Amino acid sequence: MDNDEAKDESDMSTQSPATKSLSDVANKRNEKNAAGGLAPLGVGLEARGVHAWFGKHHAIENVSLDFSAGTVTALIGPSGCGKSTFIRTLNRMHEFIPSAAMAGQVLLDGKDIYEPGIDVTKIRLQIGMVFQKPNPFPSMTIGENVLAGLKLAQIKYEGAKEELLEECLTRAGLWNEVKDRLGAHAGGLSGGQQQRLCIARALALKPKVLLMDEPCSALDPGSTLRIEDTISELSKSMTIVIVTHNMQQAARVSDYTAFFLTEGGPGHMIEVGPTNEIFSRPKDERTENYVSGRFG
Amino acid sequence: MSKRARELHLSFTFCSSNPYFLAALWREDPHVSSTFAAQTPPVVLPSPRKLTTKPRPSDQIYRAVVTAFSFSALIILALIGAFLLIKGFATFKNQGLHFFTTAGWSVQTNSAGKEVAHFGLSAMLLGTVLIALVALFIAVPLSVLTALFLTFYAPERIRNFLISVVDLMAAFPSILYGLWGFFILGPMAEYWAKLINKYLSWIPFLSVPQPSFTRSPFIAGIVLAVMIVPIVTSVSREVFSQTPLDRVQAAYALGASKWGMIKAVVLPFGSSGIVGGAMLGLGRAFGETVAVFSVLNIVFRPNWHILFTQGGNVASMIIGQWGEAGKTEISALLAAGLVLFMLTLLVNFAADFIVNRAVKSGR
Amino acid sequence: MTTVQPIRPWAPSNVDRTITATSVLGSAALTTLIIALTPLKGKLAYFFLFFILWFIVDSALIARRSGRKGIRDGLAAKVTLFGAIIVLMAVLSILWATISRGVKGLHLSLFNHTMKVTSFTDPVANGGMLHSLIGTLYLIVIAIIISVPMGILTAIYLTEIKGRAAGLIRFLVQAMSGVPSVVAGLFIYAAIILNTPLRNSAFLGGLALTILMVPTVTRTAEEVLNLVPHDLREAGLAMGATQWKTVALVVLPAARSGLITATVLGVARIAGETAPLLFTVGVFDAINPNPFKGGSGTIPTYIWSGLLAGTPESVQRAWTAILILLAVVLILFTLARTLGNKKISQGKAK
Repeated sequence: MDNDEAKDESDMSTQSPATKSLSDVANKRNEKNAAGGLAPLGVGLEARGVHAWFGKHHAIENVSLDFSAGTVTALIGPSGCGKSTFIRTLNRMHEFIPSAAMAGQVLLDGKDIYEPGIDVTKIRLQIGMVFQKPNPFPSMTIGENVLAGLKLAQIKYEGAKEELLEECLTRAGLWNEVKDRLGAHAGGLSGGQQQRLCIARALALKPKVLLMDEPCSALDPGSTLRIEDTISELSKSMTIVIVTHNMQQAARVSDYTAFFLTEGGPGHMIEVGPTNEIFSRPKDERTENYVSGRFG
Repeated sequence: MSKRARELHLSFTFCSSNPYFLAALWREDPHVSSTFAAQTPPVVLPSPRKLTTKPRPSDQIYRAVVTAFSFSALIILALIGAFLLIKGFATFKNQGLHFFTTAGWSVQTNSAGKEVAHFGLSAMLLGTVLIALVALFIAVPLSVLTALFLTFYAPERIRNFLISVVDLMAAFPSILYGLWGFFILGPMAEYWAKLINKYLSWIPFLSVPQPSFTRSPFIAGIVLAVMIVPIVTSVSREVFSQTPLDRVQAAYALGASKWGMIKAVVLPFGSSGIVGGAMLGLGRAFGETVAVFSVLNIVFRPNWHILFTQGGNVASMIIGQWGEAGKTEISALLAAGLVLFMLTLLVNFAADFIVNRAVKSGR
Repeated sequence: MTTVQPIRPWAPSNVDRTITATSVLGSAALTTLIIALTPLKGKLAYFFLFFILWFIVDSALIARRSGRKGIRDGLAAKVTLFGAIIVLMAVLSILWATISRGVKGLHLSLFNHTMKVTSFTDPVANGGMLHSLIGTLYLIVIAIIISVPMGILTAIYLTEIKGRAAGLIRFLVQAMSGVPSVVAGLFIYAAIILNTPLRNSAFLGGLALTILMVPTVTRTAEEVLNLVPHDLREAGLAMGATQWKTVALVVLPAARSGLITATVLGVARIAGETAPLLFTVGVFDAINPNPFKGGSGTIPTYIWSGLLAGTPESVQRAWTAILILLAVVLILFTLARTLGNKKISQGKAK
């Protein structure tokens, strides 16, 4: 950590102002984590040579990424470069599209999740997902929404459901706002609250990995910041992968960043590395151009 | 464009080119107003001009004609009610409430040579409702299952073909159901009725006073069920296919199986649509005539035992009695027709209400 | 460089398919075995027993991988399949009965003879349906002449004029579509036969059928008119055309094939209606060239007479007639669908 900071100072003259502020943000985060002194927990997720097709259209090409246990990885890149498609291959949501096809492997804890004969619903219990548009179940109350995952998976929860409810809502940063109205319908919450409810719902299944597909893009800045705090808290006990359009968010929230790009053909990953490096000293010129705002 | 839209459109184009209006806008600008407010006298904003676009005579005629024809629906419905009431009034007057509460149906001349008539619809009304209930009981689960299968389980390649087949069912003429019901379904259904009676006759309405099972409300109910399945399936299928994709994905992302997703998202979303479809089917079931006539033995006595060979149905009774009806009886049959009309209107109103409420609540 | 091939690891593999096939065939075999050994018999037994056994066999295979949740999912899949199969069996039974029984009575002279000198109980080769075909044609033409303009005008009110009563009118059209066919016939009888010198005729039958046809035409026409792009209307108005000229010369021609679809659907709806004809047209065994006076034969009443006469010959006539009627209705429906689909694909291509 100290070596990185020394290198940063010596290279400051070559940084553009935009990337400099982003790398400052990223550095601050690293300091916070180091101060906390927590060892990363959770399980590793690894993508090896992942391709994805929609019918004949080759959407993403040969993406290999290693998501270390207990880290937050941000996937950035301009619109249409395949970030969302890639993240959906990680929990096998890609296959719901009728013409979908893929290639490559995705290893959770060393085992390929695409192996034939595997129960895909069990995979999704371990790899949770939060979507761009908050989607709580309107026919259920707030409490029922959080525990919906348990009901759907028909998991018999040993222990008090109320405790689990409180724990998940607290971790999602929503407990204080809804603790008096757990029986109210989920539709009455604001956008940010609904998204935090969806996060609590995903947490109830105690996933090892949490995938987030632009979770804050439909929310106001206040909710966004609160959710980013939640993400930082959650990363202490699980692996998080977050797709984001907002580079400042990537800098605030992630340990590692991967840059995706499509140059007319299938999207592929240009570069991956520690966040502060990607924003201050990217190795590839295209990454440099993107993070300094020259395109995208 | 509607008149109002034209008004708005014109007032906008007027405002954006009017110098006084532009000047007033400019003066409202906070950056500008402080410098200019002290210098120029206040400008009076002109009020928007009243735009009158009187339709030309040819258009006035066009609008009048079209509107008149559109109200034909209202006029026809009103006329139906009116004429049936007028011509059936004699029966209502003579029979009074007995028309609805008694079951006998006869016209006789008594010893004094006067005509004595007793008309009672109760058995027929009971039968109509019983048969419709049997039909719903069979058709709604079958339709929901079929709609679920077509929307979520059918393989891509045969899905459209199967949907066409089910929709085609709605086009079969009702007399075809009558023929099929009597000659083909009848014997099979009779066997099933015997089976049901053998094992379930401890349930009161499934017992029979005598072992005679042909042409029963049960068989008529099955025929009606087959007739209304395409309606309920088509409505349910449309509702299911409109389930919001984000909720479906949320369920799957939580590790739900296909059935788990259906139970958590599709069925709550589509429940009111299914009820609306069922009520549409109910309306059809109440009014169905020739199909029921072929497979039902109409007897003017209330019968709760649906497996037994006696039944009632207002519509079928009307065509059954029509051939030999004298003037008094015709009045009674028209009165019965009015009752049927009111009944189906009621059910259709309720169906409309339920479906509209579901659409408005956006679920 | 080797190109990577797309695969679908989630699709059922050959192994999965063989396992499913084996479990289906195995259950079928078991079913036959059990039925042979026990007092159970009949189609019902085969049907239910097969599904129960298949459920048990399949669950045993699923349980290992997916547990109770998987078994419930499998059960749901089988039950929905079960329901769909029952419905399909009903449709197929009806079609098979119609075709297999109706074909037996088909002969060429059906189309150039009437029942004027033949009774329904005579041998099937005698007599024919010509009078009923002509009568039904009269009915359809009369119904089209009245209901298509009425339906289209109502649809124009709903989509072009959009007056304040639009909601009410839409509601009333919906209510009208729920009027039972019996009531339509009774109404014409009560309103016209009992009040005017007019008696049974094809004209009155056409009037009764109009009541049933107008809602179908209106609803379909409204949908079709709504599909016409707004730019066309604005183009017409911007050229200084009056409202009615825009509608008549721009909107209606643009929706022409859709309006034909609406008409065809309406005709398919009324082609097979029997009940209203019994009160307004009656039964008639010869050709009547005058639709305004005197009874007419119609296809549905021909079938009705055949059914009521009760002998094998008359019933055979009924089956043949219904085969012809079904063929006509199915052709109309297919025509309506292809016209409708062509319209949609043309619209999308624009």
